[in-house]
Amino acid sequence: MKKSYQEINEKIRQGKAVVLTAEEVAAMGKEHTPAEVAAKVDVVTTATFGPMCSSGMFINTGHADPPIRMERATLNGVPVFTGIAAVDLYIGATENHPENPSYGGAHIIEDLISGKDVLLEAHAKGTDCYPRRDVKTNINRDGLNEMIMFNPRNAYQNYAVAVNTTNRIKYTYMGSLLPRLGNANYSTSGELSPLLNDPEMRTIGMGTRIFLGGTTGYISWHGTQFRTDAELNEHGVPVSNAATLAVIGDASKMSPEFIKAAYFEKYGVSMFVGIGIPIPVLDEEMAARLMIRNEQITTRIIDYGVPEHPELGRTNYRALMSGEIVLNQKKIKTASLSSIFKARRIAGILKTQISEGSFTLTEPVEMFPKNKGLKPLVIR
Amino acid sequence: MMAKRKQRLVLRFPAETVNEPITYTLIKTYDVMINILNADISHGREGNLLVELSGKSESVDGAMSYLESKQVEISPVVKTILFSQAECIHCGGCTSVCFPGALRMDGVSRELRFTPELCVACELCIKACPLQLFELNFGVN
Repeated sequence: MKKSYQEINEKIRQGKAVVLTAEEVAAMGKEHTPAEVAAKVDVVTTATFGPMCSSGMFINTGHADPPIRMERATLNGVPVFTGIAAVDLYIGATENHPENPSYGGAHIIEDLISGKDVLLEAHAKGTDCYPRRDVKTNINRDGLNEMIMFNPRNAYQNYAVAVNTTNRIKYTYMGSLLPRLGNANYSTSGELSPLLNDPEMRTIGMGTRIFLGGTTGYISWHGTQFRTDAELNEHGVPVSNAATLAVIGDASKMSPEFIKAAYFEKYGVSMFVGIGIPIPVLDEEMAARLMIRNEQITTRIIDYGVPEHPELGRTNYRALMSGEIVLNQKKIKTASLSSIFKARRIAGILKTQISEGSFTLTEPVEMFPKNKGLKPLVIR
Repeated sequence: MMAKRKQRLVLRFPAETVNEPITYTLIKTYDVMINILNADISHGREGNLLVELSGKSESVDGAMSYLESKQVEISPVVKTILFSQAECIHCGGCTSVCFPGALRMDGVSRELRFTPELCVACELCIKACPLQLFELNFGVN
């Protein structure tokens, strides 16, 4: 049985589409064949809510009178990128306050999304066309022309589990890693995760309409460090970091419920981003992909204690989500950095929007590269 | 059989006793077990010690009298870690460092559950929480 985007959207508009979350379809898959699932279900909603460092927001502050061409600028003391036009700024999520390492760009983004005032300080040499040299004023969401979230790398397809074999605690972007394999941290929403439900990216591509930070957003490109050459397991999903997404959306309509500033001890600032992606059940093959369960998704266990990051073993998300894995005959407590609770909420919201007819599906304008590797930085 | 007792206490040392080997005396003379859960002591200043004191009932009583004779302020602990639970996003990052199991994920709802009675105030959650929702509180009765 095959269905087109047009047929599915028509059902959505008529309020007749059958929409399930990826968890619901995974459970359904235990008792139904892919053909049955394809016949019954039209759309599956996937979601993730995890720390995604490669995120940020463009803002346009509007021009003062006389105008300034901002050359150096800070928001609440956090440096922001000014190397574009006069009053366009980019707030990098991981940019740190110089004196307060636990405060940074992500906090500014969350504050602006929340409608709070943020102090802008900018300096310039002054030009004939932009004579002003300094500005110091409060800005907020209502006074800005644009707040465009643009995240170059989000929603990793899979991610390694981090452990530490050394004798000292390690503070990493994967959280606190206790010595001598004291714990294991992971960061994926497993069977709910968007790119694990469409591993070949048959329906996810450029132009796909998505849920981003509480509002509608779009996939604008493949994410940075996107790769298609990662090893696949027997269920066809990559066992390590593979595909990624670059996403864009109107941050002035986002909610602090789905964009959250974070600080990882001794690492720095990052930002939790909520992403939801609807996947059309185009055919039996797509249904089979969407039925994937946590126990069928493999990931690698990596030692973050040593610079080479060697692989120590493999596990799956069912084991990880049970709270304990076994490695080298040792039971290790596990924890997620990605919130399944929030991912479920996003998948649920998207399900409601599609069921009610307010969110239709988009066919990608262009598909992602099919053969792309990852280059290291060669020091020469 | 002798009655045994275990008590979790915050001991507040006045500046003049900070340099005295008080815990040594407690163990050697009063035969109590001391499990130090947290310490904040600097020479020449006041200090705080969060301890679990256990032993025979009369030994614990003797130890407490000795501490009082040294002007050590004794306060039974009510809560040692404060958690801003309303702001929690339920990632669960704190659960793998919490060995007493005070912080754990609900296997069904995937929400974080905090059981303060199990907390030993080891403080690992303070640094493990990416939203910085935990803080140490030397709060007492």
